[in-house]
Amino acid sequence: MDVFAFIGGPKEIPLYAFLAPIPIVIWVFGTEFKDAVRRTPNASTGERLLYLVDSLSTAVGKTYGWAILILTFTTSYEVFSRYMFGAPTDWAFDASYMLYGALFMLGGAYALSRNSHVRGDFIYRAWSPRRQAMMDLVLYVLFFFPGMLAFVYAGFGFAELSRRMNEHSSASPNGPIVWPFKWMIVFVGVMMVIQGVVEVMRCIMCIRSGEWPQRLHDVEELEKVMLEDAEKKKQAEMKAAEESGLRRGDV
Amino acid sequence: MFGLGNPELGVLMLALFVLFIMFGFPIAFTLMALGVFFGYFAMGDLIFSLLVQRSYSVMTNDVLISIPLFVFMGYIVERANILDRLFRSLQLAAGPVPASLALATLATCAIFATATGIVGACVTLMGLLAFPAMLRAGYDVKIAAGVVCAGGCLGILIPPSVMLILYGATAGVSVVKLYAGAFFPGIMLAGLYMLYTIIMALLNPKLAPRLPLEERNVPLSTVFWALVTSFLPLAGLIGAALGSIIFGLATPSEAAAMGSLGALLLAVGYGADYTKRRNVLLVQVYGVLMIAFLAYVIVCGMTALDVDHRIVGLALFATLAVGILLIPGTSFRLFQLKESVFLAARTTAMVCWLFIGSFTFSAVFAYLGGHEPIEKFVLAMNLSPTGFMILAQIIIFVLGWPLEWTEIIVIFMPIFLPLLKTFNIDPLFFGLLVALNIQTSFLSPPVAMAPFYLKGVAPAWVNINDIFRGVMPYMIIVIVSMIMLYTFPQIGLWLPNQLYR
Repeated sequence: MDVFAFIGGPKEIPLYAFLAPIPIVIWVFGTEFKDAVRRTPNASTGERLLYLVDSLSTAVGKTYGWAILILTFTTSYEVFSRYMFGAPTDWAFDASYMLYGALFMLGGAYALSRNSHVRGDFIYRAWSPRRQAMMDLVLYVLFFFPGMLAFVYAGFGFAELSRRMNEHSSASPNGPIVWPFKWMIVFVGVMMVIQGVVEVMRCIMCIRSGEWPQRLHDVEELEKVMLEDAEKKKQAEMKAAEESGLRRGDV
Repeated sequence: MFGLGNPELGVLMLALFVLFIMFGFPIAFTLMALGVFFGYFAMGDLIFSLLVQRSYSVMTNDVLISIPLFVFMGYIVERANILDRLFRSLQLAAGPVPASLALATLATCAIFATATGIVGACVTLMGLLAFPAMLRAGYDVKIAAGVVCAGGCLGILIPPSVMLILYGATAGVSVVKLYAGAFFPGIMLAGLYMLYTIIMALLNPKLAPRLPLEERNVPLSTVFWALVTSFLPLAGLIGAALGSIIFGLATPSEAAAMGSLGALLLAVGYGADYTKRRNVLLVQVYGVLMIAFLAYVIVCGMTALDVDHRIVGLALFATLAVGILLIPGTSFRLFQLKESVFLAARTTAMVCWLFIGSFTFSAVFAYLGGHEPIEKFVLAMNLSPTGFMILAQIIIFVLGWPLEWTEIIVIFMPIFLPLLKTFNIDPLFFGLLVALNIQTSFLSPPVAMAPFYLKGVAPAWVNINDIFRGVMPYMIIVIVSMIMLYTFPQIGLWLPNQLYR
């Protein structure tokens, strides 16, 4: 229990659990950004800046995304412990919602940087990129920033109150502190705003050039990858057919 | 300036939302912003605490915890490269039946889509695997396209499906009951698809020619072995996850966590290096143990004895141990795990941020009393409960043309839900009908995900209109099954009523 005495008791674990992955975030941030620089050697300074913020959001989202694996193991352990030893744990419930909350909240900016937030895009899809960008730009300013700033402002009061009260979870007798979890709202809101600024820059770049700037290279949904592959294959086949047609024409 | 009881404002808010949804901005943020604006007008500074309270309730929602876990399980199964073997084994098993390839496709889609819950992946994978196989065997393009598209969508209906969790969280209905209720309708829909395909093949054998004799006459032991090594583990995984939820052994989130762990072990096991004697022996011993365990559970079930928890624990432990021992040399690599983790993080973020938006929006909407005019309007139409039900389903069906199921469930369900009470309709039953109805949203133009995905991977000569024409009968079957469920509610309600009296 000496370890716990050093960090201030087992109830303080959430704070350290939230802070511990930060070195990994920094490391992932470095590799992501280096990767982006390597893939786009001719990028302008503006684009580099976009990649810098993208890499940060991606690093946070990916690092804390591993919470899903921890969530899998802790919840499975809880079930196992209950059935095998007849002893349900007193920490699994608090751990599970904190891991889940961290997973999706900290993934928010990552999803934004990948353009993964669902859109009702049945009309949008048919527009030219320039028109898409103009509409996005207007709505980012009109909707996104006011909403997110309200989120940060509201979250700050909420989290700060909780910290001052040194609020502990009432969901279990163990009662770990919850204010780091609540403070995450503020942190995530700020990250979303920063990523939003980058998305606005993307819109402006797209309005200027008429083409959406590239995003970071990342894993994609299977259907997207396969559809792209199929498209490429069809184009290659068409090209081959054209060429062979030409050659035959020559003969 | 504005206070409580501004229903007009609520309706305006909804109308603006419908307008802005068309502009293609991420829906979560549109919902959040409209909620904040209208909330600020209506209640001033209070909106900020409402916003953060609603967000925090999403962050601590014990129903939504199962979403990342089921999504993660789905991505692992998807990345584990098991579809090929699954399809081949089911194709062997269906050999002698008419339209065997189409049936194998439907069955593969049903089980794979149920395990993954990812419609797009199922349709594209089967579009590359089963669709060309059917065309080569001389199947009609329309029927081949129909089974791939219709089968790929079954995953969001047959539990454990993420859609039912979303509905449960929105409507406040127990996910456990929804799973128990959706089980038979899901099986019924899959069964009707198969029945229709067989009848079509019998009426007009040219649509689905039989396979050549040498491909049909496979020794029974080969078929059996193929099923045991590919179909059985996946079916067992789904069955264990679903069974433990329905029979109350674990909460949905716990079952989802065990399912994810099981999917990891399954992926390792499928890819394990079976040239090594040790691994083969290990799996054989494990198989025998599992058969003994199953027999024990069945005997306990039949004699109404309590299953000893320690034996269940031992079975779980054995599964874990075998999985870990199989890791060296497996073809399921770290990068596949990484991809699953990152994709799960992104998908979860998307869904749960949508919930933050929708919770805020619907709280403000309710505060303004926006339901009242809608309710008055509906009541003024003097509908019977049946009439209302039909109207609601038609609206959802029409919403399915431009929108995807996430938006329909998370955003439009809260508008229908208060009306259910007025008409005395069970939200559980309504949810089952909606779950069936949503199937059509993948198939109906203009935003028909499934046909367009299939078109994307199909050979260039396959026409999108042929695909739509092939899908049409299956859409009609969905509607037929909705009518059947409405006429005989016991199809859905029998199991939950039986289990949770």
